[in-house]
Amino acid sequence: MKIENTKAQMRKGVLEYCILSILKEEDAYVAEILSTLKDAKMLVVEGTIYPLLTRLKNAGLLHYRWEESSSGPPRKYYGLTDTGKLFLNELNTTWSELQNAVNLVTQSKTSKK
Amino acid sequence: MNKTVNINLAGIFFHIDEDAYLKLSRYLEAIKRSFTDSQGRSEIIADIEARIAELFSERIQNDRQVVGLKLVDEVIAIMGQPEDYLVDDEIFEDEPSSQYNQKSSSTRRLFRDTDNSYVGGVSAGLGHYFGIDPLWIRLVWFFLIFGAGTGFLLYILLWALIPEAKTTAEKLTMTGDPVTISNIEKKIKDGIDTVSETVKNVDLKKHGDKLKEGFDTVSDTVKGVDFQKQGNRIKSGSQDFFESIGSLIMFFLKVIAKFIGIILIIVGITTLIGLIIAYFTIGITNAVHFPPMNFLDVANAANIPMWLMSTLVFFAFSIPFFFVFYLGLKILVNNLKSIGKIAKFTLLGLWLMSIIGIIIIGIKQATEYTFDAEVIAENELNIKANDTLKIQMTGMNRYKNYYFNNGNDFKLIEDDNGQSIVSSNVKLMVFSTTDSLAKITIEKEASGSSYELAKKRASAIDYNFNTTQNTLELDAFHITDAKNKFSDQEVRVTVYLPEGAILYTDKNTKRFQRKYYNSLNNILSKTETNHYFKIMNNKVECLDCEEAIEKSDDTSKLSNDTINTTIDKPEVSIKINGEDGVNIEVNDN
Repeated sequence: MKIENTKAQMRKGVLEYCILSILKEEDAYVAEILSTLKDAKMLVVEGTIYPLLTRLKNAGLLHYRWEESSSGPPRKYYGLTDTGKLFLNELNTTWSELQNAVNLVTQSKTSKK
Repeated sequence: MNKTVNINLAGIFFHIDEDAYLKLSRYLEAIKRSFTDSQGRSEIIADIEARIAELFSERIQNDRQVVGLKLVDEVIAIMGQPEDYLVDDEIFEDEPSSQYNQKSSSTRRLFRDTDNSYVGGVSAGLGHYFGIDPLWIRLVWFFLIFGAGTGFLLYILLWALIPEAKTTAEKLTMTGDPVTISNIEKKIKDGIDTVSETVKNVDLKKHGDKLKEGFDTVSDTVKGVDFQKQGNRIKSGSQDFFESIGSLIMFFLKVIAKFIGIILIIVGITTLIGLIIAYFTIGITNAVHFPPMNFLDVANAANIPMWLMSTLVFFAFSIPFFFVFYLGLKILVNNLKSIGKIAKFTLLGLWLMSIIGIIIIGIKQATEYTFDAEVIAENELNIKANDTLKIQMTGMNRYKNYYFNNGNDFKLIEDDNGQSIVSSNVKLMVFSTTDSLAKITIEKEASGSSYELAKKRASAIDYNFNTTQNTLELDAFHITDAKNKFSDQEVRVTVYLPEGAILYTDKNTKRFQRKYYNSLNNILSKTETNHYFKIMNNKVECLDCEEAIEKSDDTSKLSNDTINTTIDKPEVSIKINGEDGVNIEVNDN
């Protein structure tokens, strides 16, 4: 088992949650989502995001619209659907629970030491 | 200087260097393979292409600027390697690639590995196929080459038949590595340095096609895997059960087929090797006069060149066995290169020609025996009535190293005069004659394609006899020069004895006596060897036969038993040989 794989799996596990969170306030096109994620060091390479976006869209959590761009090809602007918003709420709850749980476990370990 | 290609990426037009284009299209293809249609592959690819177009546009200052390799590398670094795209279910499975491994190891295929080749990459390819070090296979070749060069020939054959591993996918199936995206990319990356070096000189389009070909193969396998995966999900338990029974049966059928294939290969190759060795042996020994070959040469009465004969026989037998071998190989190696229509028809034609040639030679050989001719020599023997003639064979031991099993057999001997054919086909007959003097006739017979030839051959037979006092010594063999070929040479010795003469045949004539030829008149049909017989008019009388001796020995038997023997012949002569005196009592009661 490689540490890189574990790291990547951890990161990718919460990636969907992060994408949904970014789109919570306003619609964004891929480059914007990417730059947010990259700034937060959630993402190393961009490629990872495309299958995720497509899957979320196919699951009905996201919708998109085309917008012309002055500098390049037309852009896909993604936004949350109603299902997506419900989904995100649930994920929020799960995440805070998980965070607590993880904190509890890891901190109890360190306190024992 | 670099060629450029025009591409349309998500509706935006780019000039791109050819090498950069190749890299980009490889990259996109590799990504494409990592998704299935159910995941929305085309959409994902479209998104990725759009993003790449965007990244290009950001980095290009004006329309005339060309996208270079450096820019493509940069974009790929941003986008990530193909395996980074694998975010889906598989990444969370414990061993996501085990399925791939199993699948591809069972479909390891035989290719020629030209990357690690010394000659044609056959050994390296076989090494991959059997999972052993190619060194061992090269060692086998090395020894086979000493086996009359069969290794050399077999190598050429395999070189021609086994396809070269050209595409990356082929190279991966050759080594048994799973055909996964990252493996392909790895292979491509390994090769990319060499490719980029040669890319300026080599026809680029061809390279592109090759790669595309490779990707197509991969896409096929990926589709296959995917289909299986999807199918499994749908299938219920019972279907799974029948599926596994089916695959079990298929497995056994495959094993049987491979087994048959192995047998065919072994049969084909051993026969071929045998034929090749035989062929070259004939070729070599023909030059150094190896005895058995001369033997063949002498039997070859039609004077067909030996090399032609052996070549025809070689083709007539080896071509069918080559096809047997090919069939076996085809069963075993499913990606075997076809030898091509031209080669097939050439071989078929060659085979037919050989068969026809052999038939023609056979006919020609047969016509060599169509005419028989004989040469008769007659000699008087100084034997009158009441004289005794002993007949015996001489020279029995001269060729005793040769074993003759029947009259038609012949042996080839070599002496100072060159090669000669020695045959023991000598026939002895004895007839009675009313002449006062005995005579002997020697009939020499041979066959040939014409009467003249037959006659010539017959007279070329060397056969001798000699008479000393009352003994006739006949040669047990007749000899002829090897030039005359073996053409059913035969010698018939007929002895005519006057009536009243006494014949004694030595035991060693027994094998040469033709008792059953004209048995009514043939004296020999009535006589035994090692006994004296008096010749009468077509009859014989034994003078010292066992019967008589036996009766005279057993006197007690004679006194007790009543013997009633009536001799009713015009002339009766009783000869009694007694060493310690003879006592004859005649009681006439």
